[in-house]
Amino acid sequence: MELETLKQKMDEAHYIYDDTLATVLAVALELGRPLLIEGAAGVGKTEVAKVMAHALDRELVRLQCYEGLDESKALYEWNYQKQLLSIQVNMGSTDREKLTRSLFSDEYLLERPLLKSIRAERPVVLLIDEIDKADEEFEAFLLELLSEMQVTIPEVGTVRARSVPFVVLTSNRARPLSEALRRRCAYLYIQYPDMEKELAILRAKLPHVDDRLCAQVALAVQKLRSSEAILKKPSIAETLDWAAALDALGIRELTPDALRKTAGFVLKNSEDLALLPELEEGREAHCGGCGGCHD
Amino acid sequence: MTDPGVYLEKLSGFSRILRLEGLPVSPQETADAARILIRLGMDDRERVRTALRTVYAKSREEQLVFDRAFDGFFLPEEAMHRQAMEQQKKEAQEQEARRQAEEHFRQNGQPSLLSEEQLEAYAAMPEEERQRLLQFADKYRDSARRNPKLYGSFIRSVFAKALLEQQLQMEDAAVGCQAADPELGLAYRDITQFKDTEIPRAISMIQALSRQLNGELSARNKSAGRGGKLDFRRTIRKGLETGGSLYRLEYKRKPIRRRHLTILCDVSGSMMQFSEFALRFIQSLNQVSENPRVFLFSEGLHEADVFSLQNMNRFRDYVRESGIYGKGTDLGTALQGLCALRPPALSASTTLLILSDAKTIDRPRAMEALQAAKRQSGRILWLNPIPQRHWKHLNSVQAFEALCPMVSCSTLDALASACRRLGRY
Repeated sequence: MELETLKQKMDEAHYIYDDTLATVLAVALELGRPLLIEGAAGVGKTEVAKVMAHALDRELVRLQCYEGLDESKALYEWNYQKQLLSIQVNMGSTDREKLTRSLFSDEYLLERPLLKSIRAERPVVLLIDEIDKADEEFEAFLLELLSEMQVTIPEVGTVRARSVPFVVLTSNRARPLSEALRRRCAYLYIQYPDMEKELAILRAKLPHVDDRLCAQVALAVQKLRSSEAILKKPSIAETLDWAAALDALGIRELTPDALRKTAGFVLKNSEDLALLPELEEGREAHCGGCGGCHD
Repeated sequence: MTDPGVYLEKLSGFSRILRLEGLPVSPQETADAARILIRLGMDDRERVRTALRTVYAKSREEQLVFDRAFDGFFLPEEAMHRQAMEQQKKEAQEQEARRQAEEHFRQNGQPSLLSEEQLEAYAAMPEEERQRLLQFADKYRDSARRNPKLYGSFIRSVFAKALLEQQLQMEDAAVGCQAADPELGLAYRDITQFKDTEIPRAISMIQALSRQLNGELSARNKSAGRGGKLDFRRTIRKGLETGGSLYRLEYKRKPIRRRHLTILCDVSGSMMQFSEFALRFIQSLNQVSENPRVFLFSEGLHEADVFSLQNMNRFRDYVRESGIYGKGTDLGTALQGLCALRPPALSASTTLLILSDAKTIDRPRAMEALQAAKRQSGRILWLNPIPQRHWKHLNSVQAFEALCPMVSCSTLDALASACRRLGRY
């Protein structure tokens, strides 16, 4: 897909992007490589996969990773109940070999996200979310799929991809991923958006919220993120929640009082909330105690 | 369409540079980069940078290295002219500085005291450093007349020291990482240089590393999913629930056996600057592992109170009041004391973690004691807060490194990579 076409499709999906993101996506598509996206929690890594599914008009198949995830939950599983029933029904059958063969056929195979994505008639977007949460064994297991676009099922053999999915892997960098996995992927690191981009996101996602309030929220969030003392930096989703909450409460200006009342939407741990009075003092000193900061 | 060969030639040169910078670049990546450049063209420099970075750099750290290499390799035309001019000017200046140095360090009509290599290094030094050296040479010029040989070797040693200092300063500055990415800067910077405001972030990184280290040190041998042997007993018992049909197969799982952890931490005077890191690290390890035994040592050995380990402030006070904080180091006595403890602190299932800078009195005795501790414990790992690049100058470090695996923990990044490498030991 041409870069300009991709940009057009993302515009249609009302997705706010910069040139870097668009170029990286175009490169990954052109090379047919999985895209590994890293960045802090809440910067919009998962959203990229959703937008790509929309832009490419493909189904989104999602695999959420967690500790202990294995191939039976990610790739395939045999339908034991159905196999047992079939054995009971065909108890009198003389052709045992035929029965055994039939038990390990497609009819009894339960597709999980990975198998589903490569056996789909039409190419899909496969999102392997939070790969850093899965065990290293699972990461090694993914290598065959990512490089060869095939998987091996012992009872069936090698299953090659009918259609090549666009694979997006996301990681919060909770643990370092293996070199082998990294080398098979195109790489994108997403940082927190700057003031301009954050404001554009707020305007696009919450068009009904007052523009002045959006600007104040975006500025306040930028300041919170730039403060070294804040342990859990606010994500984009939290910015949106905060703006929506302020709007729902009928607040039109981000005053210190409004900030205190709604701080729980943007600061999510007690240490950070305890720092709020200090930050407010700094803010007042900065803008001469004007109440809500300027646009 | 443009011939791929045009791009391939340039890109293979660029790939070589990236390899020299430490990026593992394969021919496939060069081919991919050429394919992308054919598609995108070379008109937009920033777009080319993004596209090539996507192909070549596979982590945030690699992206920073890539950007530096890209800026040096793909120069805009005006920058190339400017750089050529600057290069000419710099060469002329260096030539002049070299001539001055030759003249200055020549004594009594004899050839210069410095080698060709040292003269070149001198010419490349900043003006301030050059002046400092010249002043030094002038100050001791009188002694040259009395003993020219001694003066020559003295000047050479001063010169070598100045060069080493300059190099270390550059390395300690973390080569611009801090400006580009604060988090990376924290990982790469010397642990003694953390600012107060950075401590909370450093603590969370240390805690993550402690968890990782604890996991690596544990004899973890879990079989996931359907791996391992079939457990007939449990399968048949489970089958009773479904009328005797073996509906679900159960597999044998090896129990997760955690190794016992014994930590021996140096709290002597030479470790003062690392003490905050060491104590944080131990306290974090205590939280993630199952009842480690913590011993502190300087001139003597002292077992840390388990209760004090629960809270960092309490632990810090406890260590400072223990009576051994900030004294001299006697590793031999500490290890002998550890081996002689009853009930034993070391056994075949114990991993002994030593956190020390290896500066000790009576090194031969300490080495003997280390070997005895090695025989008594299952595994020893030495974490040394001195940067690894200095190890070759320290005899004590070299001696202990030969006896047990030693990893640097001078920066959080060094500690993280040490944790990743632990499986090999």
